[in-house]
Amino acid sequence: MCGMCGLLGGGNHWSNTIPPVKGANARSQRLIHVALANRVLASYRLKLDDFHGQSFVLSSPTGASELVGDFGQVWRVAEQMLGRSLDPLTLFDVDEATPSPTPPSGDRATATTGHRFADNQSAS
Amino acid sequence: MSPSYDILPVTLVTGFLGSGKSTLLADLLHGDAAKDTAVLINEFGEVGLDHLLVGEVNARTVLLDNGCVCCSIRGELKEALATLFSQRARGDLPPFSRVVLETTGLATPAPIMATLLADPVIRSHYALNATVTVVDALNAAQQRARHPEWLAQVSAADRLVISKSDLADPASVAALARTLAELNPAAEVVIRASASETGDILFAPVISTDLTRRLGRVQRELASGAAFPGFDSATSAEPATECNGPRDEGSYRTWSRDPASLAHRRAMSSLAAPDRPASEDIVSFCMQIDKPIDWQVFTIWFTMLLNRHGAKILRVKGLLSIAGCAQPAVLHAVQHLVHPVLHLDAWPDAQRRSTLVFITEGLARDSVEASYARFRQRLEEPDH
Repeated sequence: MCGMCGLLGGGNHWSNTIPPVKGANARSQRLIHVALANRVLASYRLKLDDFHGQSFVLSSPTGASELVGDFGQVWRVAEQMLGRSLDPLTLFDVDEATPSPTPPSGDRATATTGHRFADNQSAS
Repeated sequence: MSPSYDILPVTLVTGFLGSGKSTLLADLLHGDAAKDTAVLINEFGEVGLDHLLVGEVNARTVLLDNGCVCCSIRGELKEALATLFSQRARGDLPPFSRVVLETTGLATPAPIMATLLADPVIRSHYALNATVTVVDALNAAQQRARHPEWLAQVSAADRLVISKSDLADPASVAALARTLAELNPAAEVVIRASASETGDILFAPVISTDLTRRLGRVQRELASGAAFPGFDSATSAEPATECNGPRDEGSYRTWSRDPASLAHRRAMSSLAAPDRPASEDIVSFCMQIDKPIDWQVFTIWFTMLLNRHGAKILRVKGLLSIAGCAQPAVLHAVQHLVHPVLHLDAWPDAQRRSTLVFITEGLARDSVEASYARFRQRLEEPDH
């Protein structure tokens, strides 16, 4: 919990560990973390924001948003919003990244980011 | 800081019904190693404490003449641990410095670890130090075949203790030791010989020395390109030549098999047992990453992996080389649970390479490694 504002968050989650790297600080590391997660989520039109350094807010283009405590929960909530699984074993796969000759009209990933891997993943 | 608010290390003792957990703990309670230790056991009657009692705190908690606090668990583990800590803080109990926790024989360790690692109250006062799994030398094969809890207990172990070795023939004990080392390459396998070594079995460190030594050997042998003698899973009842024999380490014998050989020869093959159910598909493999990892990329990948496949990942343990960081980090996960990341003082040798031992059920090494490689390629490249 944040000692300044009393916000509950996932401060103890293992992914919040800050390696003893020279010049690293928790704030900048967290923002880098969020930026990298958004490179995964952007293809699904989801967006992650830091919330006071204690939690995250995951938002969908339909206006849905949810407060999540740590990265362990980000992907579970993202799957709930999307209604399908996010499987790292198939994500960024070459086959899925290769654009089809006539992409379906609903190929949102292609339209928004150029990362072509999102819409036709099979649930594991 | 007051000793009342120390974070106390917890050694979890697990093992299937009748495997010898209570015998191990009875030996602990009868010796000097139990000093400054609180032991939570299932039943007082199983360990025979009557002649050791020097006081009774309440119906469930007694004090022994060697300075040990012994409690029987009734109901919720969380409640038992919280009450124990409260009694210590109030001065109702001596200020013990460590805890040994016995599970029931039918328990899988993951929910107990979840209580220790994730419960906001418990994790503030206790930290999981090690998981010690007792394996019955006489009945291991049958228990493995019939009870999935056995495999969960073995997979979660930091140290595997073979009990009743004096009742079994040496060849079958050696075969069991080898099988255990294959099932859980990250764990140390101990063949228990006498009661005097109980303290070492329960309290010897498993992270700082054992893991670095074990993984250091993996790294050296992989780096040297050493050929590991083959191992035919169909004939696993006989010891393989690459299996290190029992050796003296301190006061007890250990038996270990190099995880590196699994990475080379048996990464994708399921481990054989004489009457193993066909549904079991347990594989152990060693994933090596040459380039220092980007911590944020790794955590995104690993949290996604655990979210989707955590139930199939029985165990992950290893050292990580993080970019810009001179010290290795210890990663330790059991299913969805990841222990707090520790940074060690130094690498075991000059090979500063990330090495992770995976024990998975139905999750192939190639797909895991390829997945991480794709994440690195995609997330570590400059943004578009």
